[in-house]
Amino acid sequence: MAATRTLARLATRRIAARPASVFTRSFASVSDTHARDPLSKAAEKIDPKVITKPIPESQTSTIKEPEPGKDAKIKTFHIYRWNPDEPSSKPKMQTYTLDLNKTGPMMLDALIRIKNEVDPTLTFRRSCREGICGSCAMNIDGVNTLACLCRIPTETTKESRIYPLPHMYVVKDLVPDMTNFYKQYRSVKPYLQRETASPDGREFRQSKEDRRKLDGLYECILCACCSTSCPSYWWNQEEYLGPAVLLQSYRWIADSRDEKKPERLDALNNSMSLYRCHTILNCSRTCPKGLNPALAIAEIKKSMAFT
Amino acid sequence: MASQRIFQLGLQRAAAPSFATLRPAGRMVQRRFAATQKVTDTEAHAILAKQRIQRPVSPHLAIYKPQITWIPSMFNRITGVMLSGGLYLFGFAYLAAPTFGWHLETPSLVAAVASWPVAVKLLAKATVAFPFFMHSINGLRHLAWDVGIGFTNKTVMQTGWAMIGLTVATSLYYTLLV
Amino acid sequence: MASIMRPSVLRQACQVPVTSQRMLSTLSRTSIKSSSPLSQHLRPSLVRTALPKSTRIAAFHATQRKQILPALPQTVEGTANDPTPVPEPEPVHGSYHWSFERIVSAGLIPLTVAPFAAGSLNPVTDSILCALLVIHSHIGFEACIIDYFPKRRIPTVQKASMWALRIGTLTLGVALYSFETNDVGITEAVTRLWHA
Repeated sequence: MAATRTLARLATRRIAARPASVFTRSFASVSDTHARDPLSKAAEKIDPKVITKPIPESQTSTIKEPEPGKDAKIKTFHIYRWNPDEPSSKPKMQTYTLDLNKTGPMMLDALIRIKNEVDPTLTFRRSCREGICGSCAMNIDGVNTLACLCRIPTETTKESRIYPLPHMYVVKDLVPDMTNFYKQYRSVKPYLQRETASPDGREFRQSKEDRRKLDGLYECILCACCSTSCPSYWWNQEEYLGPAVLLQSYRWIADSRDEKKPERLDALNNSMSLYRCHTILNCSRTCPKGLNPALAIAEIKKSMAFT
Repeated sequence: MASQRIFQLGLQRAAAPSFATLRPAGRMVQRRFAATQKVTDTEAHAILAKQRIQRPVSPHLAIYKPQITWIPSMFNRITGVMLSGGLYLFGFAYLAAPTFGWHLETPSLVAAVASWPVAVKLLAKATVAFPFFMHSINGLRHLAWDVGIGFTNKTVMQTGWAMIGLTVATSLYYTLLV
Repeated sequence: MASIMRPSVLRQACQVPVTSQRMLSTLSRTSIKSSSPLSQHLRPSLVRTALPKSTRIAAFHATQRKQILPALPQTVEGTANDPTPVPEPEPVHGSYHWSFERIVSAGLIPLTVAPFAAGSLNPVTDSILCALLVIHSHIGFEACIIDYFPKRRIPTVQKASMWALRIGTLTLGVALYSFETNDVGITEAVTRLWHA
């Protein structure tokens, strides 16, 4: 049965690549002048880490809506691009125009449409398209949010700008490197630590009140929107844990079943891990899930104060 | 399941019975021109490390939307540094005054200020009053946050704008009327 | 001025589609082509050889900006599965420090309001206010140094600025002590200056 299904799939037209397009393949971004230089040589020319400011869109090409409809609502998107295959080239803002009548309501729909129909080199993470996986976290119109939960503003006079999460190392285009973030998450031991068995040998149970303490904490999807909105985290990413990881830490500190609360607090009790939080509150403001990392951090500070 | 699929397929072919649609599977699969090669774990890690070194940092301060959260926080620090810096400078000058023959005792300072024109006086008052009241009133917000009050987005916005309003009002009052 | 203009002019000339063998990752559509129809007809190699290499590099560097302490190139210690190292607990720089800071800040409120509201001069409260101001300023500057002169990046700068701050704070303490003892006291001085 499986074999027949595979056969049937292969034989349908849907996946057949048009042979003509194979030979018309070429390089889409036109402003790169160093694409042909050997990599070693290109790397000498410029110090890529010095650059955070991309080439503005006024100096790059515009890629237009392929087939605008009759009364097209043309919206302009400026999207941050950087290609690791040309490490010597500066990041740049690429402009795309889309007809909103043919695009879904969310920013992620626009990105997917650009990738499908206009420029397949555009790179971004996405998975669930409903705000539960946290993959499509990016900076849209200056605010960190999930592209799948962010509506495209319908007024077409305003141009939208999409950047990767701020102050992160860019893997490609809108994809930041989250290694450090995940390593920090791992360092707070995000799991139940308990030595004693439950009295009746069954699961560790909580009262309703204790369970309620975890509301607003367990919903965090680790999209890193809050951490990368925090100026403190921008400047001291290596040592300061950032709002998301601290909220996760508090999720286990607040858990009545966990028995390692003192150890967890001790791990944060130094000048960098927790106390680089200066209550700027960008984290709570930006959280796409409506959680309050700043409050969680304040609760940690409170529980550690005067002890 | 499979039979259903084959039935659908048959319908498709019946609808478009040309040979062009019936390409053998092998030719339809997209061909890749890139050659692959095996690398060991250490080699792969070296490639990754090299890629990491070349990565740019995404833009941050310049592109983040100015919001009532971080802009006042920034000014809180700037005003704090201004006020404390002024205090430090005055302290140093006061200690150095006898050596250099400056007169920084209160009566002579008061006399000096009294001789300024009104506009300069007001300007000087404003440059002290605005940072002082901003830092003080924002300090109250910070103390409230430290005991865990006022963390909802709405409250933060309200108190933020209230802080700005109060700062302007008190600063103007103390600059112009006192 | 000319040096600013020249690279931007050249950059226009440099914007030529480069069809490279190793860049076969894109479908070229008519819409992409139409963005620069003329340059499509130029052979990229021709244009590139016509331009001396140095000017192309100059064009490149022209838009670059010097930043204050830019982020270092990315390096990751250990594998992606190792946690970041957890520092040893130091309550003196952690929770004690924080609590102390809050007490000082909270204490400043009544000490600032009271003398001006009551209009009375108490040398004791005045000197306490001075002491708290010194501590508060010191803690504030310390936070700035830790934030903006990261230890792992510029350890000597951080150490030097910390010592400079300590010396500065001590000097300020001495200065305010002599101001309090020889002069009229800080609240009175501010009041008089304000009404001067």
